Amino acid sequence: MRAWKFGPGHWFILPTMVLLCMLVLYPVASTIFLSFTDASGKWVGGQNYTETLSEPSTKRVILNTLYYVGGSVVLQLGIGVLAGILMNQKFRGRSVVRSLMLIPWIIPGIVAAMTWAWMFHTDYGIINYALTSAGIIPGPIGWLTNPNTVMPALIAVNAWKMFPFVALMVLAGLQSVPDELYEAARIDGANFLHEVWHIMLPQLRPVLVAVTLLLVIWGLDGITIIYSMTGGGPAGRSMIFPIQIYAEAFEFFQFNRAAALSVVYFLMIVLLIAVYIRVFAKAEVE
Amino acid sequence: MAIKNNSGRIWLALPLLVLLIISVVPFLWMAVSSLKSLRQLYSVPPQWLPDPATFSNYSKVLFESNIPRYFLNSTIISVGSTALALCFAIFAAYGFARFNFKGKVWAQSFVLVGQMLPTATIIVPLYFVLSYFKLINTYLGLILVYLVLTLPLSVWMLTGYFKSIPRELEEAAIIDGASRLSILFKINLPLIVPGIVAVVLYSFVATWNEFVFALAFATDRSMKTLPIGLAEFSSEVDTDWGAIMAASFIMTVPIALIFLALQRLFVGGVMSGATKG
Repeated sequence: MRAWKFGPGHWFILPTMVLLCMLVLYPVASTIFLSFTDASGKWVGGQNYTETLSEPSTKRVILNTLYYVGGSVVLQLGIGVLAGILMNQKFRGRSVVRSLMLIPWIIPGIVAAMTWAWMFHTDYGIINYALTSAGIIPGPIGWLTNPNTVMPALIAVNAWKMFPFVALMVLAGLQSVPDELYEAARIDGANFLHEVWHIMLPQLRPVLVAVTLLLVIWGLDGITIIYSMTGGGPAGRSMIFPIQIYAEAFEFFQFNRAAALSVVYFLMIVLLIAVYIRVFAKAEVE
Repeated sequence: MAIKNNSGRIWLALPLLVLLIISVVPFLWMAVSSLKSLRQLYSVPPQWLPDPATFSNYSKVLFESNIPRYFLNSTIISVGSTALALCFAIFAAYGFARFNFKGKVWAQSFVLVGQMLPTATIIVPLYFVLSYFKLINTYLGLILVYLVLTLPLSVWMLTGYFKSIPRELEEAAIIDGASRLSILFKINLPLIVPGIVAVVLYSFVATWNEFVFALAFATDRSMKTLPIGLAEFSSEVDTDWGAIMAASFIMTVPIALIFLALQRLFVGGVMSGATKG
């Protein structure tokens, strides 16, 4: 083993490392510490955890978060892959269509949330108008105030916001598929759907594995859409982890319980990612 | 892979049209709604195009609301944090790309973890740190915490760009006795200008849209950023949808301009990041 020597490489990364220790490492350590103490700094063991975990609202927050992230990712992947494959076809005006399709992804999250909140408006929203006049629903639905529709509505907005990103990635992935594969398939008499199923999707697998991980992480970190559209309501039906942590800390000033929630949330994410990597990335290596 | 026969064309055109409508209509509806008076907004059946169009929502947002102030705050904080992250990231990325040293793998993993850490999990301790240094409700406070978003990403991306420059370019300069710093600034930096532009764009967009930190650390009316200001607009009892749509449009303009000007680079950056994996 070499002796420890502080070389030029260390000097170059030192300022950034110091900053990141202050902004990431210390806060993480501090969160863990705070979760085991009370407001006066006294050690209370697992009390914050038993208190927060025994509350029925916490269980609902966990389920809501999983529902929101799971639903969003499935929709984002479904629409995104479809859009990416379509964009990979040759047709007139393709570059224009491509640019226009990126609009949802480019506009700020809060703007998307406000626009959809207006479109979901119970009395004057364009969605209720379109659906009632087409006869699909008998009367206006309070999309964001009805406990049964609020999560699907929010998931739809999140899927709308992010599917262009998936489409871009799929497009990039498809462009590296060698033409010989298609030619060989066509000689074997494959039609378009065969090509999608037997060539495109298998070739896209590595891209999709990476993209899914990103989508999960972003979904878990996403607060803008839900906070600004429903604030977690009605009656906590759309409350997800990040908003609950924020509320616990800055609305109820229960900093230590917020810290305990943060740790639980963090462990949940680590668990999710670990399982995901074990299942998918490992298969990828093989 | 092109679809040649006519029935195939329809199967391509139909889903494309649906996708296009889904992508574009909400944005158009926002733009159209921002030009309507309240009476036009609250009409059933909806009035498709504003008749007559009115700019009263825009004048309300620009002259009677706090939005211009939020716009200024967002700009200062985004530009500040982007610039600061770039300064630090150039050195760190160069260090990662050009040197082998002990602990490098650990340091790089740490940067990656920092990038992936959900921001909500560290708002409580960051709040305490900022209050200790009296940085709550200050530009500097938000600029610093936004480094959590911008710094790891900038380091990660720039490392890739530095690595793409052949070492041979530097070796000649080293033989000539140039210092490491002058090699970095005179030889490497000019070559990674596209990378720097991409990093600046990403950082700017990420901070411009950031929500959780701004919500927790900028509570004073004079310090709030645009996303928070917009969200509050809608939680008021009597929601003024025309004004919200106008403010939304205004907030989208800088991002849209950046994107239009540099679309190739923006999309290309994402793609190369994806395929390098």
